[in-house]
Amino acid sequence: MTAGLLSAPLLWLLLFFIVPVGFIAAYSVGAIGIFPTDAGVVSFDDWARFLRGDTIYTGLFWKSVRMSLTVSVAVVLLAYPIGYFLALCVRKRKYVLLLMIIAPFLTSYLLRVLAWKVILGDAGVVNSLLFSLNLRNPDDPIQWLLYSQFTVMLVLAYVWIPFVALPIFASLDNLDRSMLEAAGDLGASRLKTFWRVTLPLSLPGVVAAFVFVFVPTIGEFVTPLLVGGTSGYMYGNAIQDSFTRGIDWQFGSVLAMFLLLVVAGLMMLFGRFVQVRSVAG
Amino acid sequence: MNENELDRLFAQNTDRRGFIKLAGMTTFGAALLAACKKAAEDGGGGGGGGATSATGGIVRPPIAEEPGGLQVFDWSGYGNGDYYPKEEKDFLWGQYLKNTGDTPEFILYENDDAGYTKVAAGATYDVVHPCGYKYKDWVDLGAVQPWDTSLIPNFPNLNTKLMESGVIDGQQYFIPLDWGFIAPLVNADHVDTSEEDTMGVLFDERYAGKIAWVDTLNMFHVAGLFLGVSDPYDMTDDELIEVRDFLISKKPLVRFLWNQSYDFWLAFKKEEVWAGYAWPDTVGYADSKGMNYKYMKPKEGRISWVCGMGLFADTDNYFHAHEYVDSWASTVAAEFLLAYYYYGHTNTQVDLSVVSPGIIEALGLDDPTVLEPPNAIPESYMPRRDLYAQYWAEVLAS
Repeated sequence: MTAGLLSAPLLWLLLFFIVPVGFIAAYSVGAIGIFPTDAGVVSFDDWARFLRGDTIYTGLFWKSVRMSLTVSVAVVLLAYPIGYFLALCVRKRKYVLLLMIIAPFLTSYLLRVLAWKVILGDAGVVNSLLFSLNLRNPDDPIQWLLYSQFTVMLVLAYVWIPFVALPIFASLDNLDRSMLEAAGDLGASRLKTFWRVTLPLSLPGVVAAFVFVFVPTIGEFVTPLLVGGTSGYMYGNAIQDSFTRGIDWQFGSVLAMFLLLVVAGLMMLFGRFVQVRSVAG
Repeated sequence: MNENELDRLFAQNTDRRGFIKLAGMTTFGAALLAACKKAAEDGGGGGGGGATSATGGIVRPPIAEEPGGLQVFDWSGYGNGDYYPKEEKDFLWGQYLKNTGDTPEFILYENDDAGYTKVAAGATYDVVHPCGYKYKDWVDLGAVQPWDTSLIPNFPNLNTKLMESGVIDGQQYFIPLDWGFIAPLVNADHVDTSEEDTMGVLFDERYAGKIAWVDTLNMFHVAGLFLGVSDPYDMTDDELIEVRDFLISKKPLVRFLWNQSYDFWLAFKKEEVWAGYAWPDTVGYADSKGMNYKYMKPKEGRISWVCGMGLFADTDNYFHAHEYVDSWASTVAAEFLLAYYYYGHTNTQVDLSVVSPGIIEALGLDDPTVLEPPNAIPESYMPRRDLYAQYWAEVLAS
């Protein structure tokens, strides 16, 4: 019975995930190729070239890790109060508010990113405000607001905050309230209750939230493409370019497989902390 | 921002979305497609492998028996209606629609390399529209077959010399149609235009943060010319490394790399950038907005491009495709490209009196040698494209 129920999703996973990953792995060693110039012989040279760490892509990988970590930490810090407020402070219309938080997901991702271009441009909302307050000379707008690493991180954070508030909300909402009452009865201040009871109990949600942001953003390529300029280029862009421009599918596959292995490793590590039950509500 | 600009922004959004979709499909679908193609080749007894000759005595069904629904694999704004929905249809394929009653389907690519890659990965359509320096790559891929020019009534009106660029292995694999230049476009209010025109404005420290490059291998040609290499399309190892390192050293001056010409125009208009690598369409926009600009004729030379239509080897719409190209080769199509995009056209029968003087000046239409060296440096085939691509990827990742 269980096997029967599982077969459809397993087949789906096999066809649209496992098999394609197998293809990428095969490309990465040159077992299959598509261009007339492809050698068509199996070779681990590209893996060796990448793993030796003397290509420009190692630095790019660490840059993406750094950017992604910054975004993940910032997002979790900003989303925690939202989750906390919704789970523990709001009594009425909790789910209406929750719906409002995730409302941005109902509009196009590209539209939201393009809106940031209007806000951050040289003649955008922020710079115009500074001009009109005489805080900045109109001939000298703040340029790093748009087309920079900062822009990529800002937009990514903006996009992920509502999403990340959900697992935090779920873990806080499931909190046994009697624990908080007990802490109060035993004389703990509200701050102490938070540090000693609420935060530790919500940690699985926090870790899950962190993973929810870190994993997709480390391979991000759309946001850097739209607002990153020359300095916001990320590891995901290098992968995308390798494939879509036909620069080098074999090396692109090496880059993609490496990222997949890193992410899979992280998932296994974090999997120990995250109990699915605790965040699924 | 006025209403018109908002419309543009939304149009651009759709455009982007199309591209993202395409990019996603390329990466995801290509692996499967390639595998299928591989399997088909392996199982196909190893025969064929090349384009079928147009004159090989093949019996083709008449146009009435062809399936129609011509699939055109093209750039955005060349008939799909991204920029001028009504005019693109009326002028570029109005004649086709009239003659065949068929409405083509447009599938877009973002740049030459992306289009080529998608087809290399197994995708196939009826007609494709690459630029000259990629022609040989398409033929080598076995993806295209020669045209039968006798089926294209407008063919004799096209510039004979330029048609030669579409001939590979003695056969007319491509029908060159639209052409233009690649040169720096600068905002004359901010950039000193009293100096001699040079590609160097794209690498000039004085304009740090106000420069836009294009996100293609063409930056190697521009930088190569600026540094004085002998052949920017076939550089030596040392030259390639020199140009790569030069580009890496100058990249911090660059605000962004454009993928869509219109993105560059928006930034140029808002003065987010003052100088950029530009196609003539941007000149057209700048002209229509009355901007104080200069489209340079750099002392290193103006790079020219000519793009042409290719016919897929396995098309079921052989005669439809010829009708489509004939529509594109007409004076009506030529005048549309000139007036709306400031692009030249290989049709020599265009009545220049209907073309605005600004366009004639920008493209040098009154000078028959404008596309010939030394007036222009035509884009040409890059035998070592892979290395260029690898180095460009390194510039991007640096």
